[in-house]
Amino acid sequence: MTRKGLDGGSLKVLSEESVLKVHQTAMQVIEEVGFEVQSDMALEFFGRAGGRVDRDKHLVRLSESKVKELIESAPSEIRLCGQDEAHDIALGGRRVYAGTGGTALYVYDPVANQKRLASMEDIRCIARLVDKLDNIHFYLLPTYPNELPLEQVDVNRFFAGLDNTTKHVMGGVYTSDGAKQVIHMAEVIAGSAENLRQRPLISMIACIISPLRMDKTYGDLIVTIARSGIPVACPAEPLCGATSPVTLAGNLVVQTVDSLVGVMLTQIVNPGTPVLFGSVATNTDLRDLKYLAGSVEMGLLNAAGAQMAQFYRLPFYATGGMTDSKTLDAQSGYESALTNLLCALSGANFIHDAAGLMEFAMTVSYEKYVIDNEILGMVMRAIEGIKVDDDTLAFDLIKQVGPGGNFVAARHTRHFMRSEHYQPSLSDRNSQEEWLAKGGKVTWERASEIIKELLAKPKHSLPRPIRQQVLSQIKGIIA
Amino acid sequence: MPEDIISLIQESVIQGRIYKDDEGMDEGMVGQPGVTELVESALASDLSIQSIITKGLSGGMNIVGQKFEAGEYFIPDMLASAEAVSAAMDILQPRLAASDIKTKGTIIVATVKDDLHDIGKNIVSILLRGAGYTVKDLGNNIDTQAIVDAVREEKPQFLGLSALLTSTMARMADVIQMLEQNGLRDQIKIIVGGAPVSEEFAKSIGADGYGADGFQALAVVEALTSGTEN
Repeated sequence: MTRKGLDGGSLKVLSEESVLKVHQTAMQVIEEVGFEVQSDMALEFFGRAGGRVDRDKHLVRLSESKVKELIESAPSEIRLCGQDEAHDIALGGRRVYAGTGGTALYVYDPVANQKRLASMEDIRCIARLVDKLDNIHFYLLPTYPNELPLEQVDVNRFFAGLDNTTKHVMGGVYTSDGAKQVIHMAEVIAGSAENLRQRPLISMIACIISPLRMDKTYGDLIVTIARSGIPVACPAEPLCGATSPVTLAGNLVVQTVDSLVGVMLTQIVNPGTPVLFGSVATNTDLRDLKYLAGSVEMGLLNAAGAQMAQFYRLPFYATGGMTDSKTLDAQSGYESALTNLLCALSGANFIHDAAGLMEFAMTVSYEKYVIDNEILGMVMRAIEGIKVDDDTLAFDLIKQVGPGGNFVAARHTRHFMRSEHYQPSLSDRNSQEEWLAKGGKVTWERASEIIKELLAKPKHSLPRPIRQQVLSQIKGIIA
Repeated sequence: MPEDIISLIQESVIQGRIYKDDEGMDEGMVGQPGVTELVESALASDLSIQSIITKGLSGGMNIVGQKFEAGEYFIPDMLASAEAVSAAMDILQPRLAASDIKTKGTIIVATVKDDLHDIGKNIVSILLRGAGYTVKDLGNNIDTQAIVDAVREEKPQFLGLSALLTSTMARMADVIQMLEQNGLRDQIKIIVGGAPVSEEFAKSIGADGYGADGFQALAVVEALTSGTEN
């Protein structure tokens, strides 16, 4: 059974009072310090919406009441659709979904214990894998095709996703022209522009550059995407001690302000635009300022971000499930599990990077998608929690079996065992002898075998007439 | 007594303390003189600029480098120390001009076009200044042409290029290419750095050196400096 969209939120790393204090400080920053907007187009929009704009410094300040009004204009519930409706995900509240993330440059091969540059073929193959891995609920384009020139990257990445999985495809975009091309392609696939708005098969990401700065490219991109009505995530990536205060609370303030800047711009451009408040916040290794992808502080920051999103009633794009390990070892497992679990327990809606990523988010591994699929299955089971009612408390059964009896043959056991207990797809529960008899394989070796099976299965392709139409109408696609 | 001042200068660099009110790495330092006060009293005691710089400031920075390599010091510790050296150098600068101690060379640094990330470049700049180089920082998001123009006008010995984004690191190659086209490439040594940059990448674009972190960047520049002199 597949578990997704279940309610998290049982974990609260912030008290209600702390949520309020982070919010108040964020409002103070927006009112007093302001934020820099390097896109003239975006600056114009903030000015028109009543922001106090210093054009020389490209600085915008907004009143708290204006901020509130703009946040309220954003929808609290967003549906991200798959080509197969069964894969739709309904973001909002404390419902939790998890999927892949990007954008990695390398692919790690555990057999050779080395990495290579990622290519277009990886985006296709990983899409095919994710399509078959039940606990990965959406496909966020995971790698950068190093062989393509920049202007061909956007449309080819999205095409590779849509042509290989029926799950929802989200991705970062690199140019405004590329974003427009991708939207046009998705409209062709959806049948019309209207169909795509009704059932968004794709969504995009436009980042805010912490601290307190929207750069020209992303500012222009947010305007372009918001105009199109395609769902967009506006995450911020403040790094403790580098691009935010070293303290986690200070980081949360910067993340809140920065992501809200993106959210507000979408609502000024096109009120009601489906937008995700987002966090890629983490700390840095203060020995060399490396971005850390597997730290426990990252888990805490994203868990807290989920609470802020719930406070603002905005769907939340969270980050969790990565590791800084260079290989698929114990560190890889515990960092991925811990950060995923913290996000999920706090009710983060859209946990991205939750599968496949390692080494400071620079590298993916096919094997890790299979391993993380298992972790996510366990995480989803954890947030499902413990159902307590007369049937599950089972007084009658306990009475019937009585002291010294057993429950193995009970119908009650058979009835509940599959739904109450997570069924692993990768973990080894054999005895030592059985495990050795099967070759004594470690986790990633077993994952490699699963990958072979999954990639041998028939793959999804866009329906032939639609595929033809896309290839004839959209230029520059390498099919 | 004068020797004591030099070792106190060294210690205040290690502690990263500019003024007497500054906190140090260790507890209980507040109130004791910082590097600026110590340099003033060293000058008042007629200690040589040479010994203040080499034994006091550089000596302190060397130990900071060792502590950093050992994982005991983090970047903010190292920056506090480098800033202490910088503050001391500001006091010494007017006297240096009158002395026969030469600067080690000039380096232009820049983060390439479309990249706004400048923390790494700034750290390298501070360390280079602390080591006695003249650093001209062009800033971030700098046009390829503007970098080439700056090289033509300033005639530095070194050019340091930085990029954090995979989408912008290729601009480093553009800069090197344009320097070649303008016949300026052979006049300078080019070092590159930034999170996605590697030794391999540096070689592939024809750079002279690569630094994985600030101290490595400094070490590469120092090695190239002695290389150019030999």
